[in-house]
Amino acid sequence: MAEVEIKKSSSGNKRMNKKTTRVDLTPMVDLGFLLITFFVFTTTMAQPKVMGLNEPIDTIPNDEICNSCVLTVLLDKDDQISYYEGMLENFPPVKQTLFAVNGIREVLLQKKEKVRVTTGDANDFVLIIKPGERSTMQNFVDIMDEVAINDIRHYYISEINATDKKLIHFQ
Amino acid sequence: MPKVKIPRKSTNIDMTAMCDVAFLLLSFFILATKQKPPEVLSVKTPSSVSAKATPDKSILITLTKEGKVFLMLGDETKKSAIIEDVNKTRNLQLSATELAKLKKAEYVGVPFNQLKSYLNSPTEIPAASLAGIPCDTTNNELTYWIRSVTNVYAGEDQRKLQEMLLVKGDGEALYPVFKNIKDSFKANEIFKFRIVTEGEAAPAGSELAKAQKSGEK
Repeated sequence: MAEVEIKKSSSGNKRMNKKTTRVDLTPMVDLGFLLITFFVFTTTMAQPKVMGLNEPIDTIPNDEICNSCVLTVLLDKDDQISYYEGMLENFPPVKQTLFAVNGIREVLLQKKEKVRVTTGDANDFVLIIKPGERSTMQNFVDIMDEVAINDIRHYYISEINATDKKLIHFQ
Repeated sequence: MPKVKIPRKSTNIDMTAMCDVAFLLLSFFILATKQKPPEVLSVKTPSSVSAKATPDKSILITLTKEGKVFLMLGDETKKSAIIEDVNKTRNLQLSATELAKLKKAEYVGVPFNQLKSYLNSPTEIPAASLAGIPCDTTNNELTYWIRSVTNVYAGEDQRKLQEMLLVKGDGEALYPVFKNIKDSFKANEIFKFRIVTEGEAAPAGSELAKAQKSGEK
């Protein structure tokens, strides 16, 4: 395609041949777009984002919370979640779920609705998160995401204690 | 019926304009993309629905898959002050050349007692073979690093400092190590920090998606 058109002059024999300056730019366009696609694909456009995390001050005494408003989530290994409602002293039944739309999210939404029915305010719901020793950073970020997604106002990050361990163990 | 004669036109199109556009776009993409410094520590961050942008300057604590902790002091204006503060408060007795070397280093990833030998090492030690900053309950050196950071930023806007404190953890890193980092912050009375994540869209129909939608209006 890269032809340079040459117009033969018919009359002039001593004059130089007039050449047109038109160059076929098709290959250059091809090259241009090739480079564009290369750069677009190689550069990661997505910048990393950040997630805020607020920690409670330990010295401030905890407020009283209603027994039925509490849901405790225990993060276990292999992305497993164990959860129970209410206080540990009452030996609540421990159930298992997973990080999925119809898993933990459904559980949280149901509990929130339950709290709304019993106390009249869904924001009374308190979520206690207890990441286990075998849970990963991904699990932790995922559960914090669920908190943000489901608009849970009160949550607390705690540790798995001996009673929790017993409870899971005997399941 | 009279025949309609269609005049023959040449199929040659002037490519100049298209060429212009192609190279304009090319130069735009090259200039618009920020050159990312090559990452020494490979970390695959977890994805999150959070949409906050990362700050330009940051004090970044990286947690690798193996549970090693590295500290990157991203604020060049304060970096040397922080390092000198650590040297003074922890009585590390680093020489002037060693200090200079440490200030030049991109990250800190060795315990205090190995710092001297690390800085005097003739060859560059790859990040993978470094021990990382100890931050467990028995020997929490990260706390001292963060203390020096808070010391240096004492007179500054604390809000800004909180925005700069980032923890970049690998998704597969175990939680207890992250908890230790959290505790080191807590020990220095820092209750707010940020976690570096990969962006992700809020699931449709959720409370967050609704809140984001109403916020946009």
